[in-house]
Amino acid sequence: MRYRVLEIRAAARAAIVVAGMAAAAASPAAPQATLNPPPQPKEWAALAKLPDWSGVWTPNVSDQEARITRDPVPWTQKAAAQVASLTAAEERGDPKGLFVDCLPEGMPTWMLITHNAFEFLFTPGRVTILGEMDGNRLRRIYTDGRAHPADPDPTFHGHSIGHWEGGTLVVDTIGVLPEAYIAISEAVGVPNDGGLHVVERIHLDSADVLRDDLEITAPRVLTRPWKTSRLYFRQRARKYDIVEGVCLQGNFSEGVDADGHAVFVPAPQSEGGNVLPRDQ
Amino acid sequence: MGMREKSRGFGVLAGLIAIALPAAAHHSFAMFDFANTVSIDGTVKEFRWTNPHVVLLVAKAGGAPDAPEVWSMELTSPGNLTRVGWTRQSFKPGDRIKLEFNPLRDGKHGGAFKQATLLDTGEVLRSNLREAEKPGLK
Repeated sequence: MRYRVLEIRAAARAAIVVAGMAAAAASPAAPQATLNPPPQPKEWAALAKLPDWSGVWTPNVSDQEARITRDPVPWTQKAAAQVASLTAAEERGDPKGLFVDCLPEGMPTWMLITHNAFEFLFTPGRVTILGEMDGNRLRRIYTDGRAHPADPDPTFHGHSIGHWEGGTLVVDTIGVLPEAYIAISEAVGVPNDGGLHVVERIHLDSADVLRDDLEITAPRVLTRPWKTSRLYFRQRARKYDIVEGVCLQGNFSEGVDADGHAVFVPAPQSEGGNVLPRDQ
Repeated sequence: MGMREKSRGFGVLAGLIAIALPAAAHHSFAMFDFANTVSIDGTVKEFRWTNPHVVLLVAKAGGAPDAPEVWSMELTSPGNLTRVGWTRQSFKPGDRIKLEFNPLRDGKHGGAFKQATLLDTGEVLRSNLREAEKPGLK
């Protein structure tokens, strides 16, 4: 008897779901589902089945540099000329410096050239990447099945949706500000100029090496999608954590004001952004 | 003495001009001459454990006590240095060191830190991230 009731309840639920789907399909003005519904226990339990990406991930800088030659960027002719000019400036020690204003490197540059570490947080419906630098950088990757907004507000890191294919997190990013650079070093790169689309396949390459296979589409500065990869490693035996990384802090030194308060005072710097002794 | 005061006044002015420039801190290291290594002995004046670049100010040995020749060393970030074993206590004001660095190309008293030996303990501090890129280090 009891089973029977459950069966009826299940059938009724299924009917309601089907009816709901039909209603949603028939009526485009149907109210939206809650964007961030309360996670259910099974969603928390599902996190335990994801690969172990805990710990502090540090970019492999030697690999970053080698990749620029191995996976050459398919710049447009105009962008290639600008990149050549910036590369020459960097080589003669007169770099423009793309990030001396301390604005975020954004996507995809964070993943391509940073020397700073980051960590992953897995919570129901989302993967979050938190990093040092740019005033504590952050990517939110929605894994709850949502689509991109039709017209996302442009941001430095864009709008990212992701899904798991086995142990690989596939991430799709759009909505990046046109001013965000596609950079191959801190002194060489060009703004994406709009229409940027990045697809990433992030997975463990070995026990403590994480690999991001990127496909970067930027129709205004690249002639075709740029496929490249980056490696990040973790040190299980070493005792450190992610630390705060406020880029603008370097423009100041610690001082005391007329009221005796601890305050930040501007620190003298050269045009290139390096700190100089006070008498220089 | 008068000369020194004058040069100090200029230093303050130069500082203000530098502040007014749209310069900041998260920069390429191309302004340093990595083909050249300079070595000096000196005393730590200040160790700024700040993002994005840690700064070490060193008074070169042999200078006038009231107007030392100060050299500014730039390093990577606190986070990156933490991962190669440094702490914000790695240097303290007054530490006597032998310093090796790649100098600024423009001849100013600055450089990219390469290595320092604490003369009182013999401890050597290096900051090259590439030396610790392999996973599985102890």
